[in-house]
Amino acid sequence: MNYLTHQELAAWLDHLAQEQTLIAPLNIAGNILYRPVKDTHEVVWDFTRSFMSVKDVFFPPTERLMLIEKLNGQVKLTETLPEGESIIFGVRPCDARGLLTLDALFIENEPVDPYYARRRENTTLIGLACPSVGASCFCTNVGGAPDDPTGMDIMLTASNGGYVAEIITEKGEKISKKFPVFDGLSEIRPHPTHARKRELRVPPKEAWPARFNDDFWAEMAERCLSCRICAYVCPSCRCFDVRDEALPGGNGQNQAERIRCWDSCNGIPYRKVAGGHNPRFMKNQRLRNRFFCKFYYFPLHYGPVSCTGCGRCIDACPVNVDITEVLIYMGRR
Amino acid sequence: MAFEPKIIAYLCTWCSYTGADTAGIARLKSPANIRDIRVPCSGRVSPEIIMRTFEQGADGVLVLGCHIGECHYNTGNHRAAKRLPVLQALLAYAGLEPERVRLDWVSASEGERYSRIANDFTDTVRTLGPIHWRVAERGAHFVWEQEPISHRYSAFSDEQPKHAVYHTAIYDEQTLILQAAARELLTNKLVDCVIGFEVGPRGRTRPAFIHQPENVERLVWNQDCTHNLSAYLSKKLGWGTDGGKKKQPDKLPKAAVVVKPCDSRSINVLLAENRFQRDQVYIIGMACDGIRQGAGFSNDKSGPIQTRCAACNVRTPVVYDTLIGDSEATYREIPPEHIYPGIDHLDALTPIERMNFWLSQFDRCIRCYACRQACPMCDCPICLYERDDSLWVGMGIDVDEKRAFHLGRAYHLAGRCVGCNECERACPMDLPLSLIHRKMAQEMETIFGYRAGMAVVPPPFVTILGGEENLP
Repeated sequence: MNYLTHQELAAWLDHLAQEQTLIAPLNIAGNILYRPVKDTHEVVWDFTRSFMSVKDVFFPPTERLMLIEKLNGQVKLTETLPEGESIIFGVRPCDARGLLTLDALFIENEPVDPYYARRRENTTLIGLACPSVGASCFCTNVGGAPDDPTGMDIMLTASNGGYVAEIITEKGEKISKKFPVFDGLSEIRPHPTHARKRELRVPPKEAWPARFNDDFWAEMAERCLSCRICAYVCPSCRCFDVRDEALPGGNGQNQAERIRCWDSCNGIPYRKVAGGHNPRFMKNQRLRNRFFCKFYYFPLHYGPVSCTGCGRCIDACPVNVDITEVLIYMGRR
Repeated sequence: MAFEPKIIAYLCTWCSYTGADTAGIARLKSPANIRDIRVPCSGRVSPEIIMRTFEQGADGVLVLGCHIGECHYNTGNHRAAKRLPVLQALLAYAGLEPERVRLDWVSASEGERYSRIANDFTDTVRTLGPIHWRVAERGAHFVWEQEPISHRYSAFSDEQPKHAVYHTAIYDEQTLILQAAARELLTNKLVDCVIGFEVGPRGRTRPAFIHQPENVERLVWNQDCTHNLSAYLSKKLGWGTDGGKKKQPDKLPKAAVVVKPCDSRSINVLLAENRFQRDQVYIIGMACDGIRQGAGFSNDKSGPIQTRCAACNVRTPVVYDTLIGDSEATYREIPPEHIYPGIDHLDALTPIERMNFWLSQFDRCIRCYACRQACPMCDCPICLYERDDSLWVGMGIDVDEKRAFHLGRAYHLAGRCVGCNECERACPMDLPLSLIHRKMAQEMETIFGYRAGMAVVPPPFVTILGGEENLP
């Protein structure tokens, strides 16, 4: 184990920031968001949970997949893979688990997504255990923990006024050697974060299909606004839409780009198919899909549930649609 | 080389386009900067077209139509005359120099006038220099580094106690009256559903839909009833955008809705726009003393009232079938500069500073459309900014597209927004949306003397189809 004082940690991060992009939690007009920083000067060290997860570093809201140009009567396609290495400081365990969900879809199963894979490869995660559990957090109920190092490259836990650091992967090892603060000699062990476990049982995937036609979905969806907050703040929601769009200007050349943007199954056009039919035109169908996706469809194809229990959707929903109420309902006989 | 602006001119085919031709035949000098686009009428030039033109890199936009009274379609140019000043105000507020948009009138025989306007406008835009409107770089971030501009009302910040006392006993009493009213409506089958408020398991007050008389005890009335429930009405009663099912004209659905005074104003706008019939909705009006800050999200039951409520002068619903309560709160006359502190602050900045401010705000937007979905007025079957065949805005979640969406939405709400602040409350990224919508409301009041929702009168920009035309 390694023990770092706050100053040592900041000095190490500042050193890393000179070589690579350092992404860290910042307070932007009252919201904690992960943004690139030049040094640790403005970093927020103490926070419960960022507003948006680290998902958007790997799976940005909008990204160009390729550039399409018309040159001398020929069409030229240029793939635009992300460049550069980066480090994210202050990743919470729920977000790291969210990335594992995205990995299952984008990397572990064919076809591999080169854009996401490249970013994953070139990014090192420095985790930071949660000091406490937020009012809407329920990570312990879906297999996580506030100090769970799963998916991190280096895990930090605040302890005795400094941080206990555990190097987990080779990537973590590599960045730890860049500045002499890791001696591996500390006897201090991190204290586990006190997490009261809620009485909340996540039903097995087999329990879900029988409840597909329940009236419950229509009742709870009645107040749903069909916005996309829940999907966009979710660390494991990963739906997207791809479109070719013309670029303005272009010095007389015909230029277009293929872009990929976030999408959400709560949006009305999400499920629309050719010919205009929309098999999920009712909002209860759409909202139900969100929960079935997390607890039934995803486990069916990839194994674990895809909810990480971060509780962001609960806090952000303007009309209090609550995923834990769904779990409570499903837990009833 | 001196800067030569790129100017797009939209010319009415019946007059100005011919006017430009006349200028050519008369061999009058016209600047080569202008690209003419022929349109059927200046009324056809929607604000979206102009905004998109700037997005695509134009340095100036000139709109020329027939003189008032000479429109080929009688009133097409009246629309242009009404819209352009409001659009100009909106774009100026967002940081574009208002001189970059000009509306003028040129008849078919006025070649000389066309030439003069074209030269003059080109000179003006040339003096302004290149436009900085489009950002274009994907993923660029903007941070506002100057003094923060608050979108909250400052009028009462000194005198208001940090913790307000709410009259719980009165709320409880009114809750019982409300439940009794709802029970009666449902038992006698006067309505299919009562839309009201309930308290969820987390203690958060939220919308509730009561279909059975035995469930009316879920209904509450308290200091946290912040949602504008009229947002659900159009979809429940009207043209059936959710579900795609067309309602049968002989059996129109009926609903009762619990409204605060501010929400009742939005019902008037919806009625004026024929979204549903008056007898389809039973309005349970609540006299309102003000709603708590953070209502709908936090569980703190004693926070101060929302500052918009402190400045509200409509304490009793403007339209109702049953009125519950009697507001004790009094309205205090507040000078406008205290009601709209952020607007004044922004107006005092330079255009480029204003643009930077708004970019730093739209930067945080995640395009989740919560603002639009929570808005009672935003109920187009498919939003113009979300159509898959839309050319008004790209699909990207980047600052250009987000700005186009928010400004477009602000324009669509001009004269319709009642200031319920639902968009701002629903916004997960805390965008100061009320700063735009209040500004537009101010403009509409100044230009047209119109305040949205005070009576069932169509807003200035809205064209209403007759009741029969609107039915499926």
